[in-house]
Amino acid sequence: MSDRTALQRPSPVFEAQALSKSYGPNRVLDDVGFVVPRNKVVTFVGENGAGKSTLFNILSGVAAPDSGVMRLHGATYAPTDYGAAASLGVSRVFQEQSLILNVPVYENLLLGQDARFARAGQFLDRKAMIAVAEAIVEEAGVDVDVRRRTGDYDFSKRQSIEIARACLAGLHLGLVTQPFVLLDEPTSALDRRDEEAFFRLVARIKTRGSLLFVSHRLTEVLALSDLIYVLKDGRLVAELEPANTTESELHGLMVGRERAADFYYERRQRVIAKGAEPVLSAVGLYQPGAFEPIDLVVRKGEVVGIGGLLDSGKSALGKAVAGVDPPAAGEVALNGGSAGAPDIGRFVRQGLGYVPAERLAEGMIASASVAWNVSLASGGDLFSNALGLWRRGREVETTERYVRSLAIRSAAANVRASRLSGGNQQKAVLARWLCRNPSVLVLDNPTRGVDAGAKEEIYRLIRELAETGVGVLLITDELLELIGLSNRILILQRGRLVAEVPAPADAKPTEREIVALMLPQSDRPDLPTGAASPSTSSPARETIP
Amino acid sequence: MTADADHLVRPAERRLPAWPTIDKSLWLPIAVVLGLIAFFSFATDSFATMRNFTAVSGQAGALLIVCLGGTFVILMGSIDLSVGAIVLFVAAASVQILNNTAIGGAVFFAAAGIGAALGLINGLIYAFGRIPSFVATLGTLSIFSGLALQILQGRAIQFDLPGFEEIAIGQLIPRLPNIALCALVAWAAVVFVARRTRFGRYMYLIGGGETVARTAGVPVRRYKVYAFTLAGLLTGVGAILMVARLGAAGPSIGQELLLNSLAAIVVGGTSLAGGVGGPHRTLIGVLIIAIIDNGLNLMGVTQYSQMIVKGAVVIAAVLVSRERIFSAVVK
Repeated sequence: MSDRTALQRPSPVFEAQALSKSYGPNRVLDDVGFVVPRNKVVTFVGENGAGKSTLFNILSGVAAPDSGVMRLHGATYAPTDYGAAASLGVSRVFQEQSLILNVPVYENLLLGQDARFARAGQFLDRKAMIAVAEAIVEEAGVDVDVRRRTGDYDFSKRQSIEIARACLAGLHLGLVTQPFVLLDEPTSALDRRDEEAFFRLVARIKTRGSLLFVSHRLTEVLALSDLIYVLKDGRLVAELEPANTTESELHGLMVGRERAADFYYERRQRVIAKGAEPVLSAVGLYQPGAFEPIDLVVRKGEVVGIGGLLDSGKSALGKAVAGVDPPAAGEVALNGGSAGAPDIGRFVRQGLGYVPAERLAEGMIASASVAWNVSLASGGDLFSNALGLWRRGREVETTERYVRSLAIRSAAANVRASRLSGGNQQKAVLARWLCRNPSVLVLDNPTRGVDAGAKEEIYRLIRELAETGVGVLLITDELLELIGLSNRILILQRGRLVAEVPAPADAKPTEREIVALMLPQSDRPDLPTGAASPSTSSPARETIP
Repeated sequence: MTADADHLVRPAERRLPAWPTIDKSLWLPIAVVLGLIAFFSFATDSFATMRNFTAVSGQAGALLIVCLGGTFVILMGSIDLSVGAIVLFVAAASVQILNNTAIGGAVFFAAAGIGAALGLINGLIYAFGRIPSFVATLGTLSIFSGLALQILQGRAIQFDLPGFEEIAIGQLIPRLPNIALCALVAWAAVVFVARRTRFGRYMYLIGGGETVARTAGVPVRRYKVYAFTLAGLLTGVGAILMVARLGAAGPSIGQELLLNSLAAIVVGGTSLAGGVGGPHRTLIGVLIIAIIDNGLNLMGVTQYSQMIVKGAVVIAAVLVSRERIFSAVVK
């Protein structure tokens, strides 16, 4: 490129202008514009919910932007689905694998291209398919036999096969001359050897096309990328060249919001003594594939936050603690009682409440009334008598009490829950537990999909509950909420508890510190705090071996 | 679709009664009943007679009892395909018990107990085997039928207990056969259970959102077993009343019950997706199916054509109810 003059400079491979996208009231992408130059590796970084996945969905035709323009090789680009995007030379490696396990590798590599190998109408020229597939894996440096069943290979190899397909299938079939490949967290599933092969493949593809990454692994991002874009809350906040930046600067750019202490009622946060009475203590909780053995304690009046990336296993941990998805091993004791395998039915009777993250699928019955949703967990005691007769009067009276005290704007107990806004629905779910005077609450993203007003009310409620001695286990993707509400923060990385950070009202950790702990450190999983995290005047941090 | 978008924007505008009472979706089935009565009264001479009323209510009574338990199962979002097989098995077993023991009229309770046991088997396989209910009960449909046909050895067996038929065809209330009276009493009891008890509430909650209920600590699996057991018990009661009414148990008893009961429940307005409807509606569904059966018979329509009509009615009822009922059921 350097030998061309400015006038002859080729148009960028891809260009986006003013892309915006909202889901309901949430604006997930806001006026995002960027270019992907020819023969470059471009990476998007940002914390959970910054809009990276939505951006990839738009680029690969899975979602349509509300507004904005895209150009591919200079031509207007508006794919209606992934197939349309693929036919224009845009390929994507999805985070969840999309290979068919019970067919040979070569069929996966050439998926959807059967017509090209049809001979005499219906018969497939398998020899030709295998030859092309072998050329693909060889160029990709993936050590597999394309005739073997895909499912015979482990996750790492399958990820490599998928990457090879995305990068090379179009080239080898002569469908594409300049591939544009989207890779979502491509290396997270790769073992060391496949990772090295991947790096070599990236270098090769770069000579012919361009690649767009999304990754949390900043060390790797800095090593691989030619250009880095930082997304924060759906906006593009920085464009950097790796040579001129550091991991630490990226952390700062990814977060760096003002935390209004009042919003989280931090002044009302109390100091919890180390020896305070535990309301929940878990020992050796273990769920294969989700998290490794974890011990944790929530004390009376304490808010314990759990933070981590989407793959950290924190939601699974919440479900295991509450006994909604009982763990493979481990015991939990409530209120100093005897420890036992978690079981939601028994725990509810013992004073635990669980608010799931997926409100529509797990949190509330949309077809039932507000009253039915409030009484849902108490059918076995509060709202039925010894004969099993339902106490409708008490049900309506209790619901109306919470409709007033939590300001649930639904006018009446008998309104269908589906007609409430997200914030009011969430308050109804909370009322389900409040009416039982719980001693422990496990809250998974309690303010997801909730407007700012209801958010503040929920924060105040959590603070008030803690003041009355309720122990809260708060699992959340919102960093500010995690820091602002918690007395103590536990950080999970890929199912491992890697750090415990005290967060007293007068010495809250910064977002930057927390993010540095959450992100994996490439090749150095044994050093969770890493060299990159700024260990400034922050509160003492205990790292867990 | 637009209606859905609408209520998102304007929450709390349309209100529902805390309990489903007489609302719009109940008027349509009632209108259908009235329409059918009017139609058959004009189309045949014999439809609007007291004699025929007794006949229709006798047919409808047996169907209603069997449908009541099935309504809970469907309300819960499951399905019981073995209902006809349970009737066959209970009928066969009851006749043998009657003829080979001195149990007498107490066979009524034995039948209820056998039905409950078969329902319990269904429930255990479904809830603890974690097998979809339509697969579990498709299996037991074949098992129960096979066992019953072995008991009957493929032929009809009459019972010899003079006067036993009175529990079905006697008329404590003039013109209303006892079987229909039993059905109405059972209906009232089941409606009470649905509306006023923990069991009834849990049926609606499990059907409306099984995962939500489980996440909140509701013992979902246990209540699934209860529901199937209750369905089996009521089916057993229905079976013994049918035997009393017919005077015998033959291989074809219960044959049409699967389609008829499913049709009645769905036509009444209980959603196959679960969570919406209830046994109070099933009464109307049963009337519709029984009147169609009876009216078509009187008009001389062949058995085969009747099958076609009823199949179409079931499909039409689901099509219509998709418009009527809440569409965003979380399943």
